[in-house]
Amino acid sequence: MMDEKTIVWKGYLACIGEDSCIVQSPWYLGEDCVFGADSDYTTLAIAAIQLLQSKGIQIDSINALNDVEALIINMATGVEVMQTTTDDSEELSAEWDLCISDDARLVVCKTDCDVELWEPEGGLDVDEEFHQKMTSAWEKECLPEHVSQGAYVSQQQYEEGAAARLKLMSQKVDGELIWPPRQMDEKGNPMPQASTPLQGIATIESWTKLAAAGAPSEFSIRAPLLGGITTAFVRFEQGPRGVFLLVDDEDNNPKIEDQVQFAIRRIYAQEGYIRYGLKCQIIRD
Amino acid sequence: MYFLLLDNRCYQVPNTPRRVMVDVAVIGAGQTKYGNHPLGLKAMWAEAAANAFNSVDNNFEANLVDEAFIGSVAFGGGQLGNTAAILTEHSGMKGCSVRRVENACASSGFALRDAMMAIKSGEADIVVAGGIEKMNDLSAERKRYWLGVSGDTEWERLAGLTFPGTYALMARRHFHEYGSNHDDLVNISVKNHMHGFENEFAHIRKEVSFEKAASGFMVADPLTLYDCCPTSDGASCVILAADHVVREFTDDPIWLKGSGAGSDHLALHDRHSITQMSATQKAVAQAYKSSGVAARDIDLAEVHDCFTIAELMATEDLGFANRGEGGLFARQGRGIRNEGDVAINPSGGLKSKGHPLGATGTGQAVEIFKQLKGTVEAPRQIRDAEIGLTHNVGGSGATCAVHIFGRDR
Repeated sequence: MMDEKTIVWKGYLACIGEDSCIVQSPWYLGEDCVFGADSDYTTLAIAAIQLLQSKGIQIDSINALNDVEALIINMATGVEVMQTTTDDSEELSAEWDLCISDDARLVVCKTDCDVELWEPEGGLDVDEEFHQKMTSAWEKECLPEHVSQGAYVSQQQYEEGAAARLKLMSQKVDGELIWPPRQMDEKGNPMPQASTPLQGIATIESWTKLAAAGAPSEFSIRAPLLGGITTAFVRFEQGPRGVFLLVDDEDNNPKIEDQVQFAIRRIYAQEGYIRYGLKCQIIRD
Repeated sequence: MYFLLLDNRCYQVPNTPRRVMVDVAVIGAGQTKYGNHPLGLKAMWAEAAANAFNSVDNNFEANLVDEAFIGSVAFGGGQLGNTAAILTEHSGMKGCSVRRVENACASSGFALRDAMMAIKSGEADIVVAGGIEKMNDLSAERKRYWLGVSGDTEWERLAGLTFPGTYALMARRHFHEYGSNHDDLVNISVKNHMHGFENEFAHIRKEVSFEKAASGFMVADPLTLYDCCPTSDGASCVILAADHVVREFTDDPIWLKGSGAGSDHLALHDRHSITQMSATQKAVAQAYKSSGVAARDIDLAEVHDCFTIAELMATEDLGFANRGEGGLFARQGRGIRNEGDVAINPSGGLKSKGHPLGATGTGQAVEIFKQLKGTVEAPRQIRDAEIGLTHNVGGSGATCAVHIFGRDR
């Protein structure tokens, strides 16, 4: 049984039941629900699983088609993704299903659960030209042969830092949390494994909006469409600080002392591999 | 004299004299004009080296150089390996011990420090420190890549930051913590353009009004175009000599009185503060201590103003202004040549003279050398200049080298 109430969750619209949830993009092109500037089925799936987990629901594994990045979902949520190329139920073995629609919405539910249709509130119109250009930009950026002149973070290096990047895992040393993780302390001793997650609330200490021409070259296809990119320098409640892009590459200028929360979104793609990471979202009253 | 047995043969080895506390002097210094340079790498370096050789009062020959340290970020990958050897090969220094020194924009500041240490160690008497960069012949994409390789790639870069962005974060935070404002940065920009206007070696020889600088195109909010230095081509070269050989070359050496260096986290979020640079603080404390001078003794300083906020923060970190009063210092014009407390960036600084990454540190030393020798054309000459300082920062403050020069030993 779904609660019809629309929840704004990680920048998406959602509703949740006892054994299911629906998450969708807030953006509409006419009647069609479409992805925003930095979202896809993987980011929606992570948000949906995290929503269920936030309600105390345990999900060990989930069945999914190949439309999502199983490794990223696993690193972000701890849920094992059982992927198949068809929807043949004999191939599927998890207790939960991840079902995607042909627009920007998906359902996470128990395998034997019926999910009711739901009409969310709070949808936003997206400019058609912007949407088309952004979609084309991502298609171009995601091509295997696309190698930007940007700084190179290899897949191995990216995955090494994934727990910190996607789950805010920090190191605990003498009661103090260290994030992003470091290798050795000042005495030359190895630092402990990052196993303590930071709470996902932080305060903006500074911010900037880079003009498209000044943005890193790995953002060079999309930055002109966005009119630049905005980065916030934040301090987490537990002490560590970090820098994050704004969710949906929001046009709103932040303010120092604004509080932010975090959601996983696309950062950029290179050589056919999308780098996902946390972006921050200003908490509005 | 002692004897060394190798492969059943006996060699006589002279005792290497171990000098204690060798003093180091600058006997020559030269550079190319900064900007969109028409020459290639080898020719640019040769021009800077020739200007340095020719600036030595007595005859100087390239083959006298024992060691060479050349700073570069590798000019767009054009010659990433053996960068330095190809330069000395083409400037008469073939055969000398040479290496590239890389610490981002502080590459040649550290090359200068390494050169000084080579002499102080007693292993070398005449050493060249220099730097070179050429990036204006690169495509816009490739240039942006090379300008960004020195920041924290894994975290800052993935959050969309380039150096204008990191310095913009510092600026906004400084405004918030200390009440400084963008007008303070505009004052720095106007001053440095005014200083660089008469500098024949400067990239941008153009004075700008306060109004124009205040209304520049926004690059990284709150920093505008007039807060950002240009990307320049250029090369610079400084010749150092040990005290016991100095008089062979000049009766009027400029002494390298002190040196300091420090490092810090690459990423801003790992630092104690983003409104000060601990690498600078460590470097300058060491330099003041080793030279026996204090901030109040400095007559002129070439400060690393890659962005105007960098100069504002540096005036505090170097001790010219109290903490949080860098904006006031700029507002009161205390860095204007021959008017203020200390002439800050009489060359025009990175903002006007230009910033050929690897060449900037020794380029600052070239300016100080000429100023202390009294050979700078009016009205740029700082009156009665006795002690000068260079401050060279790598990236957004991960590395810093500070040097203090004086007319007296």
